[in-house]
Amino acid sequence: MFSIPSLAILIPALPLAAALVTAAFGPRVLRGRSHVPVITALALAFVASAILLGRIATSPDFRSLQDFGSLETRHGYQRIVTLWTWAAVPGMEIGGRRSEVGGEGSGLRGQVCDGAFSGRACPPLPTPNASPDFRVTIALRADPLTAVMLVTVTFVSLLVAVYSVGYMHGDPGYWRFFTYIGLFVFSMTMLVSASNFVLLYAFWEAVGLCSYLLIGFWYQKPEAAAAGKKAFLVNRVGDFGFALGIFLIWTTYGTLDFHDTMTGSGVVSPGVLGEWRLAEPGRFAGGTVGTAICLLLLLGACGKSAQLPLHVWLPDAMEGPTPVSALIHAATMVTAGVYMLARCGPLFAVSPDAQYVVAAVGGLTALVAAVIAFTQNDLKRILAYSTISQLGYMFLAMGVGTASGTVAGMFHLVTHAFFKGLLFLGAGSVMHAMAGVIDIRRLGGLRRRMPVTCVTFLIGSLALAGVVPLAGFWSKDAILAALHERASGGQAAAFYQGLYWLALATAAMTAFYAFRAFFIVFLGPEKVPPEAEEHPEKTSPWMAVPLVLLAVATIDVGMRLERTGSLERFLERAPGEEGRGEKGEGRVWQMRRDGDAERGAVAIQASFSPSPLSPLPSPHSPHLQIALWSTIASVAGIALAWLMYLGPPGAKRRLGGWMEAVGLYRLSAGKFYFDQVYEVLVVWPLQGVASAAAWLDRVVIDGLVDLVGTAPRAVGALLRPTQGGLIPIYALAMIVGVLVLLGTLLASGL
Amino acid sequence: MADGELELLNGYLVVGAILFGLGMVGFLSRRNMITVFLAAEIMLQGISLSLTAWGRYHNDFGGQMLALLMIAVAACEAAVALALVLMLYQRKGSLDLFLWQDLREESVPRHIDRELPEALPEEPPAWPRLTPAGLSPEIPPEQTGYRPHV
Repeated sequence: MFSIPSLAILIPALPLAAALVTAAFGPRVLRGRSHVPVITALALAFVASAILLGRIATSPDFRSLQDFGSLETRHGYQRIVTLWTWAAVPGMEIGGRRSEVGGEGSGLRGQVCDGAFSGRACPPLPTPNASPDFRVTIALRADPLTAVMLVTVTFVSLLVAVYSVGYMHGDPGYWRFFTYIGLFVFSMTMLVSASNFVLLYAFWEAVGLCSYLLIGFWYQKPEAAAAGKKAFLVNRVGDFGFALGIFLIWTTYGTLDFHDTMTGSGVVSPGVLGEWRLAEPGRFAGGTVGTAICLLLLLGACGKSAQLPLHVWLPDAMEGPTPVSALIHAATMVTAGVYMLARCGPLFAVSPDAQYVVAAVGGLTALVAAVIAFTQNDLKRILAYSTISQLGYMFLAMGVGTASGTVAGMFHLVTHAFFKGLLFLGAGSVMHAMAGVIDIRRLGGLRRRMPVTCVTFLIGSLALAGVVPLAGFWSKDAILAALHERASGGQAAAFYQGLYWLALATAAMTAFYAFRAFFIVFLGPEKVPPEAEEHPEKTSPWMAVPLVLLAVATIDVGMRLERTGSLERFLERAPGEEGRGEKGEGRVWQMRRDGDAERGAVAIQASFSPSPLSPLPSPHSPHLQIALWSTIASVAGIALAWLMYLGPPGAKRRLGGWMEAVGLYRLSAGKFYFDQVYEVLVVWPLQGVASAAAWLDRVVIDGLVDLVGTAPRAVGALLRPTQGGLIPIYALAMIVGVLVLLGTLLASGL
Repeated sequence: MADGELELLNGYLVVGAILFGLGMVGFLSRRNMITVFLAAEIMLQGISLSLTAWGRYHNDFGGQMLALLMIAVAACEAAVALALVLMLYQRKGSLDLFLWQDLREESVPRHIDRELPEALPEEPPAWPRLTPAGLSPEIPPEQTGYRPHV
């Protein structure tokens, strides 16, 4: 029953079924009990994900990998479940030549399979005059990366769904909310288990749709409707890049599958990220095309994960219900971009230029968003900018390009899902108790009123700031370590050194804004808005339990994963991850940059393994020096926040004046004026074009159409007086007609 | 075929055409529903006459057969039409065809035969008045309600 394929199918199927049941019976039958099917399904999906994780970790294939280290023949653990073929278009001949089966273009014969897998066959780039068969299958995959994502997604969504029972209680759209949540979890689990780019793209859009629906959940509120629209439109830009990237992958690789597929005649056609290609990096397209693919994929990831040029939608998305902000806009959906980068890691590995761009975008986003978060007064917006900043951190880790970087990024993804989910749920709890007031200037000293929220929020803030035993510390530390290690040698070391210091500075800023919010809201003299006094609401157990569970996870998970190194060992078995970084010591990746005209066909050696001079610290030994620096940074940030918001008023004035003097304050409060710049550069021209088009449509085109309608009406108006209702007149008309007919017949000589 | 035959045909056709024309003019000009119906019958008879004449001319009974058929149809038609006319008469109390104008377009004004002048408001008749003569007699106040001399 619980084989890996059935689990892989069950995990997305359960939330889908729950969503359908809720949609069908929610409005009439279930009503206030609409959460029951969804929570049941999510709980089962979480159990299934946990079992799947365990199965993969203990599966015989996987163990044989660890035991025998047979990296040459098998590249990571993966299991593909192909449900059905979605679309199949036979290949076309271009220029009269048919691509030969088993030839260069379409695949390799089964007999030469072994030889091919050991790395002697030619790269199967499609021949220019024949396009291969286009085939899209509904293929789900189970591998370590997917399993980690599945467990994270189902765990956080389960807790958020439980929390929503308390938070959304009594909302007229109660069943609608849980339907959307079910739909979202279905889409998200499908997104992380999809095993080809088309499916990935489809569910990429599906989560975007769910996000749109949930941001605009209170659609009567104009801000919410506008925010949903903005999120959708900004994401379009990224998705456009992603789609172009997929097209380019198709024309370059001739397939869109991640995995190798075996067709009926024993022909293996290699997938984009399949074992065959992973056996040797030269089988990935490098050069200009490879870089272009990577940059387009990065654009897609930037849209979904709210990175620098396209981050503007995420803060506005906070108009949605707070559980949605926690689930979709902090813990899960926005990490889809990071997941995609991790999945496509091998493509990025052959394009160092693209990797630098990823790192630069991530680092810059982390810094800018942290600066903006300084001056926001809306608690949820502070957390939104913090999410953007932390996602930037993950991008930074992905941009490092080593296995430890990718693992650190995924590690941060997991821990961030827990502690940011916790922070958002805490903010929601405050908002619920304070009758919807979320402006931190109107709140203060809530620690006595809401002790549970206060403690859990403190834990979340400490984790976000990266204080020692909590999850955020370990994952942030891992990212810093990966950066540091990358900066110690190899290409562009100075660039990564700069990013390392930038990341450290960001860590300090993170601590500052996290504790600014905490100090203002929970410490100091009690300040409660008058609305809240009227209906004092207690935190319901539905809301308190998820908070506590997430807090426990935040405390526990980072330390557990870090100290045992299990995540690292586990993820390294994901296809495409092993062989990068420390496991590949001595295995130097030869990278061909054949598209580079200046350098000709010079093969440039690029080593992603650390230089022999600085042996990597093993995952068990703490990166002491880095840990020290990051702790200093976070403590400094917290201390500064203490000084400014709880210390003597003079300190605040002096520090504020200093910030004012540099202009940082205005820049931060204005959110770096991104919205205004886009308004001028994008919105105004588009509005101009749109109103011109609307005028053209209304006046010219509608005018023409109206003319067609007006002409018969005018003729009719001329003839209408004859319709007088007098029978003799009709008879006369008839007789005249007959006479005219007879006259013409006679005149024509009949 | 003899010449007399052709002349005979001509004569019948002319009579048929005259009947038809008369019926047509009647149909177009009369407003009494029964008269209009009669005019239509006259048109039918004109046609049946010319059919019979053609049948005679061609020595073919088809024309007469058709004429017999038309008589039968006209009888049925008369039954239906007279019943209809009766119903219409009962509705409006008149046989005037122009009272039924419901087929006209809404925007076209109703045909009205002639405008009747609106009835003039009736002024009260001005009767001649006598001019008062002399002083009005004084009546003692106690006698206002009761006048013993009258």
